[in-house]
Amino acid sequence: MLAAVRSATVFGVEGRPVTVEVHVSTGLPAFQIVGLPDEACRESRDRVRAAVLSSGLAWPSCRVTVNLAPSNQRKGGSGLDLAIAIGFLAAHGQVPVSQIEGLGFVGELGLDGSLRQVAGVAPMVAAMGDVRPVVPVGNYREAWCVAGGGVRVARTLREVVDALNADAPWPQLPDGEFVDDEPPLPDLADVRGQVMARQGLEVAAAGGHHMLLVGPPGSGKTMLAQRIPGLLPMLEPEVSLQATMVHSAAGVRLPAGGMVQRAPFRAPHHSSSMVALVGGGSTSLRPGEISLAHGGVLFLDELGEFAPSVLDGLRQPLEEGVIRLARARASAALPAKFLLVAATNPCPCGGGGPGDCQCDEVARLRYVRRLSGPLLDRFDLRVGVTRPGVEDLLASGGGEPTADVAARVGAARQCALDRIGMVNANIPASYLDSLAPLHQAARQLLRDQLERDQLTGRGYHRIRRVARTITDLQGGGELVLDEHVQLALSMRVRLSISSRERAA
Amino acid sequence: MSTVQLAGSELPPEAYVASLAGFRNMNVHRLGALLRHHAPEEAWAVVLGQRPSDGLIGKVLEVSGVRDMWKRCAQERPPAEIWARCIALGLQVLPYGHQHYPAGLLDDPFPPPVLFAKGDLKLLAGRRVGIVGTRNATAAGREAARSLGLGLGAAGVHVISGLARGIDGYAHRGVLAAEGEGRPIGIVASGLDVVYPREHRDLWEAAGNCGLLLSEAPPGVPPEPHRFPLRNRIVAALSEVLVVVESRERGGSLITAAQAIERDVTVMAVPGSIGKRASLGTNSLLCDGAAPVTGVEDVLTALSLQNTRSAMLPADLRARPRGEDIAVYRVVHADPRTIDGVMLALGFSLVEAAMSLARLESAGWVAQADGWFECVGSPLR
Repeated sequence: MLAAVRSATVFGVEGRPVTVEVHVSTGLPAFQIVGLPDEACRESRDRVRAAVLSSGLAWPSCRVTVNLAPSNQRKGGSGLDLAIAIGFLAAHGQVPVSQIEGLGFVGELGLDGSLRQVAGVAPMVAAMGDVRPVVPVGNYREAWCVAGGGVRVARTLREVVDALNADAPWPQLPDGEFVDDEPPLPDLADVRGQVMARQGLEVAAAGGHHMLLVGPPGSGKTMLAQRIPGLLPMLEPEVSLQATMVHSAAGVRLPAGGMVQRAPFRAPHHSSSMVALVGGGSTSLRPGEISLAHGGVLFLDELGEFAPSVLDGLRQPLEEGVIRLARARASAALPAKFLLVAATNPCPCGGGGPGDCQCDEVARLRYVRRLSGPLLDRFDLRVGVTRPGVEDLLASGGGEPTADVAARVGAARQCALDRIGMVNANIPASYLDSLAPLHQAARQLLRDQLERDQLTGRGYHRIRRVARTITDLQGGGELVLDEHVQLALSMRVRLSISSRERAA
Repeated sequence: MSTVQLAGSELPPEAYVASLAGFRNMNVHRLGALLRHHAPEEAWAVVLGQRPSDGLIGKVLEVSGVRDMWKRCAQERPPAEIWARCIALGLQVLPYGHQHYPAGLLDDPFPPPVLFAKGDLKLLAGRRVGIVGTRNATAAGREAARSLGLGLGAAGVHVISGLARGIDGYAHRGVLAAEGEGRPIGIVASGLDVVYPREHRDLWEAAGNCGLLLSEAPPGVPPEPHRFPLRNRIVAALSEVLVVVESRERGGSLITAAQAIERDVTVMAVPGSIGKRASLGTNSLLCDGAAPVTGVEDVLTALSLQNTRSAMLPADLRARPRGEDIAVYRVVHADPRTIDGVMLALGFSLVEAAMSLARLESAGWVAQADGWFECVGSPLR
């Protein structure tokens, strides 16, 4: 009359094990779920009952009580449907209780008894520990990535019940390697001209430097940004697992291979809310765009159009690589280590070359007020992008293809990792003198810049890190040369809007 | 009251005028009438009701509430205090007819009854050009205002403007940058101790120190909206030539232009491209017969001055470009360029172009914004 089934829910990007206890007794017919279920969870009463009946199983008149333990934590989502149904069938004796030992059940039920995929299966399976997970077919790959070979799949509730009663074997799916069905990434060879911007992309990818692209509409800022993931190396196994967990928890489609192995590219629209960007929500703390970009690129087009408060929310994760969300009932730390690439017009009207701007002062001031501040300071690279000229567009043969650039980027990244175990953008200021020693001429160049007040203390360190990356990319030695520093300085364009505000 | 009366025996007449000018409901007409019919001390007594009055003021005082209000104002603004404040701020108080009162305003149809001044009043005897325009200026307008100010300043012409945001401010920045004989003359709507707009504090100080600041309002008066058109008539009256740089279809600068036409002051306008909102006003002035300004020479010609600008410009002290930098400079001088553009034009590598542009920038020949390099200052000769 009593059965306990193992399942899990997801919170943030972590699964939380849940034991579904079902008690069936005589009494007034009723079906109750206790243990802080949310709305979707409470509605599973109706789904489970209908699914059991449609599967040709019995639902007699009896009193059914379901407890979701631990009962002091909120549970959300529909992933517990299957566990509740199996718990009921076991408690009612339609499935032997001994057969559900060592199994964990995750999945949503349809009224016809079909099993539907749910979000967050990867972290759930990880949380259930040493059980063989039973999951919907659509979730097989991600469960397989976490649990390996022991995953059971089913298309319907009936298939699960038959397998448990040993009337039929567990359904089989092709195992092992999966074909990568992802579309090819856009190639850098498509980009015409834009020598400076290409160089900027290469440096950003090699050193993990956050980048701001400044240019008029139609100059190809988005096109350039989309090509950064192709330059980044495949994710490290650890990061890949974290990214997979995040994608799974957020219900974002995973690649056919199951694991997120390519650097993700996320480009939220500028109307995105704070919660959409950093993550949140009352019951499950769903990961936001910055966590989905973990290990990859977060691209913010039209940076000036984002709400200032939303952008300020990025500052802490940019520093720490993790976003700590706290709510009254719970808190969670979600991974958020991403390369920030942003694009902005030089002014509200879009500008263009000098003299093309038609904005009045008030509009410019309003624009710069949104852009200015500590966020702009976090971009190591500020690269100007211009509309390609006629010669560039008509020229036959594209630029250097992604594969060639990616090879250089990979070598430079390896160089940095061998040196200190992190990308150059993260070198602590105190290590710069030993890791990025300056040539005499380079030191003089920086001294000039500092004396002419063109560089702040923070900017000085950023330039040195970027220069280190450029040296690595050119296969240079230990010493950072003046031309590398100059190139780094050229990749930090002055913004006309912010400089004019200071002048006024 | 007794202390004021005691001090009154030593107070100059200007102290009473300064106090009266700050009364509520004391507009320019009323103050003008009051001072036309009475000497300042007498006017003070009239306002307090201690003496009979005649003319307009007699009628005004009969209006209900005015007499009481002015009595209250008189208590709030004892002349001794106002006078002390003017002295502390270094202001000169110039009632109409004062020996230093600007001669250009004496025969004005609507002269200010009193002016507050800080700086060198002798500048008003020099050559003067007014430069006015919209606060919402475009980049082109700002540059035009700055270069006109620069050229006039170098030619020894004083520039009159309103110290407002946009065109006014840039004209004065140009004058100050020229470091020539020409000085900024700022005519403002608020009291001379109420800086408006606040970001122009440096310009106020510069105008007060090396030029001239004038206001019709006594110290402490905030920049009330109705004071700006009144200020504009003084700009028009004191200018020999008025240049409108950019103006929208309805703007304060068009009021200034209309006032200037009334006073037979030459009005000139800087042409702008059609359809650009900031040029609608100036282009309509051109249609109405204002002379176009295509450079500072046009303004100097209108003043019948020899074009001696180049001779008076400060010497160019920048280190001359050498080697490949000369070619890079020529390219950038022909047209603003990005680093990519310089590479393409000269076949340089990215590093070569960046290094060369950096050398030119640090020597002060080019400036960079949003990735574009532009020439600044005088070109290679």
